[in-house]
Formats: sequence, C-alpha cells, structure tokens
Amino acid sequence: MDEDYEVEFVERGDRKALFLVRGVTPAFANGIRRTMIADVPTLAIDEVRVIENSSVMFDEQIALRLGLVPLTTPPAEFDEDDVVTLSIDVAGPATAYSGDLVSADDMVQPADQNVPIIELKDGQRLELEADAVLETGKAHAKHQGGVSVGYRHLQRVEVVGDADEFEESEPNIVRGVVEIDGELVDTAEFDNDLTQKFPGKEVAVHDVEKAFVFHVETDGSMTVEELVNRATDSIESRALELEDAVSL
Amino acid sequence: MELTVTENLEQELRVEIAGEDHTFMNVLKGALLETEGVAAATYDVNPEQSGGQTEPILTVKTEDGVDPIDALKTAAQRVQEKTDAFRSAFEQAA
Repeated sequence: MDEDYEVEFVERGDRKALFLVRGVTPAFANGIRRTMIADVPTLAIDEVRVIENSSVMFDEQIALRLGLVPLTTPPAEFDEDDVVTLSIDVAGPATAYSGDLVSADDMVQPADQNVPIIELKDGQRLELEADAVLETGKAHAKHQGGVSVGYRHLQRVEVVGDADEFEESEPNIVRGVVEIDGELVDTAEFDNDLTQKFPGKEVAVHDVEKAFVFHVETDGSMTVEELVNRATDSIESRALELEDAVSL
Repeated sequence: MELTVTENLEQELRVEIAGEDHTFMNVLKGALLETEGVAAATYDVNPEQSGGQTEPILTVKTEDGVDPIDALKTAAQRVQEKTDAFRSAFEQAA
C-alpha cells in the first residue's frame, strides 16, 4: 500500500505551530503525539551541588525549580549518559533568574532568561553547581519537550440551505481550524460561531477522514520542527528494532 | 525493546514486547490490521499500579498459510514506510 501524506502549515513559529496532516490513521497521529510528549529526550537539571544556600527555601525546593527550567537541547549532540554542568551565583538583594545560570556548554542554555528561581533578600546568597542530564518525559515531566501537543479532527463546514426564519437562533460553536470551501479557516476569525460566519444559513459540519490538525508547542528546548522530526525518528527506530528482532 | 514469545502456533503468535507502551503498540497494531493475511491483531497492557503483568502483550492471528511472524515483520516495515512518508511530507511543508 502506498502512503500518501500531505502536510500544510496553518501557523508556524519556532515554539508554536499549527499544521494539518492528511492521510494518516488515528493510530499513527496519536503515536506521533504521544512520542512528542513522552519519548523525545531533553536536557534538564537533575543533580545539584549546593555551595551556599542562605535563601528562605530548602535546597530540595531550589533543585526542583532549577530542574523545571527548560534548557536548549540541540539535536544529535548528546547521548543518554552525557552530563552538562551549569552554575549559578547570585547574592541578594536580587532575584535569581534562569538567565543567571552559566553553562559549561555553549549549546546548552536556558531557553528563557526570565524564569524566576528565588528572590534573595539582603545578605542571602545562592551559589551552586548543577548537572543537567538527557532523559525523556516518561521519566520526569521536566524532560518533556512538547508542552502542549494535541490534534483535532479537521472539520468541513458546508452551507446546506437557509435557516428556518422563525426559529430562535442559537450559537453553533466550532473550534480550531475548519475547512470552508477548500480553504483552511481559523475559527477565531468568526468568534468560533458559525452563525456569525453564515448568518441566516443552515450549515452542516462533518469530520474529514484521516485529516488532523496538530497543535504543537515546545518548552523552548527545541523548535517544533525538530520535535516533530525527532518523534518520527523515535517511532521509526522502534519499528526497525522490532523488524530486526523478528527477522532471525 | 525485548521480545518474549509466549505462544507460537501456525496461525497465532503471542509476544511480550517489554519496554513499550500504547505509543508504539497502537501504531503497530494499526499497521498489523492493515497488513494482508492478518485476521486479528490486538495488544493488552496493564497500568503500572496493577502490580501484575505491565508489559504489553501483542497477539496476532493470521489467515490460512500466513506465518504470523512474517506478518509482524511486514507490519514493522509498514510502520517505517509511514514514518518515512510522514517525514518527507513534513519536510516538504516546512
């Protein structure tokens, strides 16, 4: 059987994208979605060596917060056992931000500079060294590259006639991206309400088979494109492993 | 991924695929059901808290004259065809 897939971007940014995929089965779409969330590894701080922590928080609490700071993870540069060391040294009165983290590796930086870690008062100080490791979202949510990944069935909207003149009009809500006359339209354009787009008309809404609109947001550790590609690679490598295992 | 065959009959195969979850198993099951000669394909997996068998167990039943192991191999290739097609479609759009 021939696979005939088609991808079309609706919205495209580094960290957030919306794209339509035609031709995939629900099982495959869900496989890609789940892989983006749980099986694409990213770097995150996992171990902390505290030199001085005179802040109001326990070391463990600081460590948890540091772990949740997204770190840029360039593709194919790191292996499962690699460790990247970062350090931070902030003396109060000041707020320690993720941007104060100094990385030993230029490729690995906090994805956002302005994540507050802790507010330090006069005389308080935070100085520590941290080790970032590569893991998957399955192991801990801090390693999740995709933070908001989902898909909707593409819906096709058709005008089928005029609405009943004397019927009280009720809102007809659709969400996401719909197909109207072969065009992809963001439903936010008409306030998600089909009665605003087609006043006085009766419309029919149908699911388009094998067409899914993906919404992918990353935490900044990689771009949407990289995340999708790495998710695809992950499924492919598992299928290859299975093929090798049964071809004895 | 570690395979343990628990039943290997002429038209039925039952194999435990350790280390996998719904993510891959459902894709594989979907591909198996699209494979010619496969009469039935399913997998069973229990939640971690259940305390019992938590690795997924794949069951494949085939029609006359089709080796279930061959069917599984074909399905694994099919998954790769799908990922290939998806990757090139995505790259084309990107």
